[in-house]
Amino acid sequence: MFRNILKSKKLLFIIVPIFVFAGFACSSDSADSDKDALTFGMILVGPRDDRGWSQAHFEGGQYIEEKLGATMITIDKVNPADSPNVTVPQIVDDMIDQGAQLIFATSDDMKDGILEAAANHPDVPMIWSSGDSAWTEGKDYRSDLKNLGNVMGQMEYGKMIAGCAAALQSDTGKISFLGPLINDETRRLVNSAYLGAKHCWTEIAGKDASSLSFEVVWIGFWFQIPGVTLDPTQVVNEFFDSGSDVVISGIDTPEAIVRAEQIAAGGETVWAVPYDYENACDLGESVCLGVPFFNWGPSYLEIAKSVNDDDFEATWTWAAPNWDDLEDTDDGAIGFKKGAGLTDDNAKHLDKFISSLEDNDINLWTGPLNYQDGSVFLKDGEEASDLQIWYTSTLLEGIDGASSAD
Amino acid sequence: MNSIRKIFTSNMSVMSTLCAVAISLLLAILLLWFSGAPPIETGKLLLEGSLGNATRLSDTSMVWVPLALASASLIITFAAGLWNIGVEGQIIVGAIFASFVAREFDAPPPLLWGAMIMAGGFGGMFWGGLTGLLRIKGKVNEIFGGLGLTFVATGLVIYLVIGPWKRAGIASTSGTAPFDTKAWFPTIMELRISPLAIFLALAGLWLVYYLLKQSKFGLQLRATGINATAASRLGVRTERNLMLAFLLGGILAGIAGTVQVGAIHHKLVPSISGGYGYLAILVVLLGNYKSFRSGLISFFFAMIAVGSIQWQLRLDLHSSLGGVTQGILVLVTLIVVAIFSQIKRNKRIKDAS
Amino acid sequence: MTLDVDKISKHFGNVYANNNVSLSIDSGEIHGLLGENGAGKSTLVKILSGFFEKEAGEIRLNDQLLDLSSPKDSIKCGIGILHQEPMVFLPFSVLDNFLIGSTDQFFAPRKEALKQFQEICNKFDFELDPDTPVSLLTIGQRQQLEIARLLWLDPKVLIFDEPTNAISPAQREKLFATIQQLSTEGMLVIFVSHKLEEVAAICDSVTVLRKGKVAGSKKLPCPQSELIELMFGKLFPSKEIKDIQKGGIQLTASNLKSIEGRESIEITNFEIRKSEIVGIAGIEGAGQRTFLRTIAGRNSAESGTIISGRNLLNGTDYHQRLEKGLYYMPADRLGEGLISELTITEHIALVENKKKNQIIDWEMCYLRAAELIAQFQIQGTPESKAESLSGGNQQRLMFALMPTDADTILLEHPTRGLDIESADWIWNQLLDMRSDDCSIIFSSSDFEELLSYSDRIIVCFAGRIVGEFERNEFNPEHIALLMSGSQI
Repeated sequence: MFRNILKSKKLLFIIVPIFVFAGFACSSDSADSDKDALTFGMILVGPRDDRGWSQAHFEGGQYIEEKLGATMITIDKVNPADSPNVTVPQIVDDMIDQGAQLIFATSDDMKDGILEAAANHPDVPMIWSSGDSAWTEGKDYRSDLKNLGNVMGQMEYGKMIAGCAAALQSDTGKISFLGPLINDETRRLVNSAYLGAKHCWTEIAGKDASSLSFEVVWIGFWFQIPGVTLDPTQVVNEFFDSGSDVVISGIDTPEAIVRAEQIAAGGETVWAVPYDYENACDLGESVCLGVPFFNWGPSYLEIAKSVNDDDFEATWTWAAPNWDDLEDTDDGAIGFKKGAGLTDDNAKHLDKFISSLEDNDINLWTGPLNYQDGSVFLKDGEEASDLQIWYTSTLLEGIDGASSAD
Repeated sequence: MNSIRKIFTSNMSVMSTLCAVAISLLLAILLLWFSGAPPIETGKLLLEGSLGNATRLSDTSMVWVPLALASASLIITFAAGLWNIGVEGQIIVGAIFASFVAREFDAPPPLLWGAMIMAGGFGGMFWGGLTGLLRIKGKVNEIFGGLGLTFVATGLVIYLVIGPWKRAGIASTSGTAPFDTKAWFPTIMELRISPLAIFLALAGLWLVYYLLKQSKFGLQLRATGINATAASRLGVRTERNLMLAFLLGGILAGIAGTVQVGAIHHKLVPSISGGYGYLAILVVLLGNYKSFRSGLISFFFAMIAVGSIQWQLRLDLHSSLGGVTQGILVLVTLIVVAIFSQIKRNKRIKDAS
Repeated sequence: MTLDVDKISKHFGNVYANNNVSLSIDSGEIHGLLGENGAGKSTLVKILSGFFEKEAGEIRLNDQLLDLSSPKDSIKCGIGILHQEPMVFLPFSVLDNFLIGSTDQFFAPRKEALKQFQEICNKFDFELDPDTPVSLLTIGQRQQLEIARLLWLDPKVLIFDEPTNAISPAQREKLFATIQQLSTEGMLVIFVSHKLEEVAAICDSVTVLRKGKVAGSKKLPCPQSELIELMFGKLFPSKEIKDIQKGGIQLTASNLKSIEGRESIEITNFEIRKSEIVGIAGIEGAGQRTFLRTIAGRNSAESGTIISGRNLLNGTDYHQRLEKGLYYMPADRLGEGLISELTITEHIALVENKKKNQIIDWEMCYLRAAELIAQFQIQGTPESKAESLSGGNQQRLMFALMPTDADTILLEHPTRGLDIESADWIWNQLLDMRSDDCSIIFSSSDFEELLSYSDRIIVCFAGRIVGEFERNEFNPEHIALLMSGSQI
């Protein structure tokens, strides 16, 4: 049979035209889609089902679809390791070709790409989540990009609660933080977790500050890239081996809770606080102290509505939680879901801590606070400004770990 | 591995190579069908997504450039009978050297581009030369030497990205800050296509074609590749030729790295080589060690890489299907080509008897 | 039991690898099959093992005609062959290798097999652990494994094909003991070798092959020089060549020490004059190959001096010597002489206009190739690949590629495996070169060739020159004796 194929060069003249025809036939029906309903693009850095950062965004997009009857175009694993020959501007072009009227670029890692794409398509509204390009007071304000807005939840609160839960439950007083890469965002979140932990360790548990240790290890990227970053599972092992009994995760993916569950199954008493995705505790319910999660849906819906109503404005939004119900998915940009691992007592303490945050009874970003090198960050009684919090240049005194690359 | 080589050196005609690729594409699409992708739609989207308009054509071309250059590099070393697995590392080091120029020097853009290309080529040559030294002086097989040096190059690029070349206040393996736009290779209008990069790829393929066909060096290289002992007896300085092959292959790979930073990423990222060094091995095998064919097949792979984005965007297929398709394609093509050459061999035996 | 090989023929191109080969072997004897490389031993072994199909003749075991058209047939007929380097599957264990190919059942009866394996090992005193991966075994141990495997198949005939090439002396002793034990038990054993002393040591009788034919059979023991005569052919020259005036000294080698592979040489003094032809006689492995290759620079000397004309060649490599006029033509024409997949034109381009243009003028090379094809009477076209040429034409091509300024020609077995016409043509070429002041050194395993064309013959044994004869004092019997290591 193959010989006949080989002999008849005709075959080639059949195959090639099929594809060429197919190519031209389909070029006519692009950029169709329903004019009434919104079409938007969602660019994810990791897999859409990562039980972490990317899934939270994906479900945020589904929330828009559901509430607005909009259509989402998704592409995931957009990072140079997984998709080396795909760039953000390229994807944005494709999405716009396909009719997208709004683009979400949902990773810090997409900064350069989305800035370029926004400049290429000044008429298409875009959102760079977690960024600061639209913050008029911010360091990297891009006044030229009138179509690029930013959204970020006030995860500082989520991390404070996470830190508090960790400190309340920890026996050893050795808390570990599984950090991704080092930048303004991650420093600020580690600092927040530390502040929450320190407060609850000393004020609620009534223990001595000096008996609390708080260590961060950075893997080098938002998630593991084999051969490039550290292996988060290994890092978690080392945390527990060195006597730590709680790991707070700061990376996009749920290795910390998965590994903690396995170690606990081996008889050890360890806990974990996952991150990003509201149902992350499902991966290890018994060891989960709770999860601070992003609830992108409501904020994204607002933006989508504004695009639909033609009154999109590129703003920088640092959206607050819904203090009334931290598990409410229809309101609030971040939330916290307590985990089954938290003891009832600690859960009560944690609720108290949450309500004092809500009532503004306490502001943990209040001096005296020192930087890691001992220099003064906030004088006694001084409260940090948004700028000071967003752009914290180093970790705080009391945290072990690198503040920037050595 | 020699047997693989044997299969593919059995004088496949252009027609049978194309047939093999076409058949395997059909089979690949059929296989995708089983995983839930409508076959006609996937084929259509692949074509449309890679060639459908000027933007996509230009994106496809820009994926083609580094792949074609890496293939050119491998054709040279394959001709010398070397399994130069280290091309990946040479691309990385080329990218590092080019990035160094882009970051540290200020010059009028054309000069800067020229300097980046030279530096990148030099970097790749340096790394290729090391593999060559290990092979020739140290008797370390180039497969292991190349893998080892690729490992070192990866370590180096991570170190640079997270260390000395990090963005201010940031320690992330995501990449360096973008270069000054002066160091970006020029593009046509709004498109991302860089004529300079295209030129480099065409020049690289042509150079390799010309060297192997027309030059004494190319002939000596082929002779060395087939039988180094006999080549040496006939007066060929085989070690020098092997070294030159490593150096030249390194230059081409280094330029591929330069294009990656200068025309595509505009910054240095840890995965700057994009796996092109490994993919190119398959391209060159399928291309029967010929420049023109490898160039075409590179383009075909670039089409899959760029076009398969549409599968995810339009059909919501899983993101890994593009890679899976490439894998299936390579596998099936290898099988089909092997069958073809077996048929040919049988026929030859039959004719002989 | 008797194995009869009756008038077997097989040819490749226009050369007979086996030409009317007959032999008859009884069980209980160890029969040697002796001959220099290329004499036709491997062809016969491959016919017996079913790899090659014979063109004529019959093979009978106990008067029963055997049909050996595939290796499987051969095993079925009770012929077992121990190859030079046993074919084994490296990552697998000894026992797995033992089982491979030995049963038609898909799941081999391991327990049973293990028992029998151990019985065989005990019987022959093989120390083999059934669970060791074969990759950890020495070649000698792999041989033992292979012997055990062959014995398990219960053969009637066992052929040992050059079994001592890669094993240590101790392992060789062991192997010989095993062979003798097998023979005593009634096994019909054929011992194939080019090594005279081994055949003499172990065999009861021997058949000598030469140029594809049976040169003769002997009962052993017999004087080794008689075997050499059979191996090296007629003890008189077939041609009388004209003696011509010799020139001055062309090349001197003194105190030369060199090792290549298993062959080492120690040559105190060697000289050759212009227009002189020196033939080197010696059985395979006596040092003639290393000597030629050391002078050519293919192999570097450990010590000693080589002077060519006025040039001291010490410290120069092969390529520099090539430029100084030394040209080496190896016996292995496709292994080292030519590049199998390149065409004649490409070979021409490879050696033509050495330092000049880096760009090849293919048209010119094509025409040049056509010219040389005519001049050297090569059967082929400029587009013919070297591998498609017959041996004689390959040799002609090697002559065609010789630099015109070569003044010292070093040849290994210049006419081995060639038809008579090619052989004559080649010697005519060489004699012409001699007339042009060239010095020629060649090794040969053909007395007729040595005696016909040499102005002088040197005899190598165990890496040394043990005899030297000017043309007027050629004494073939002496030469044969010296080759066998005897003193005169």
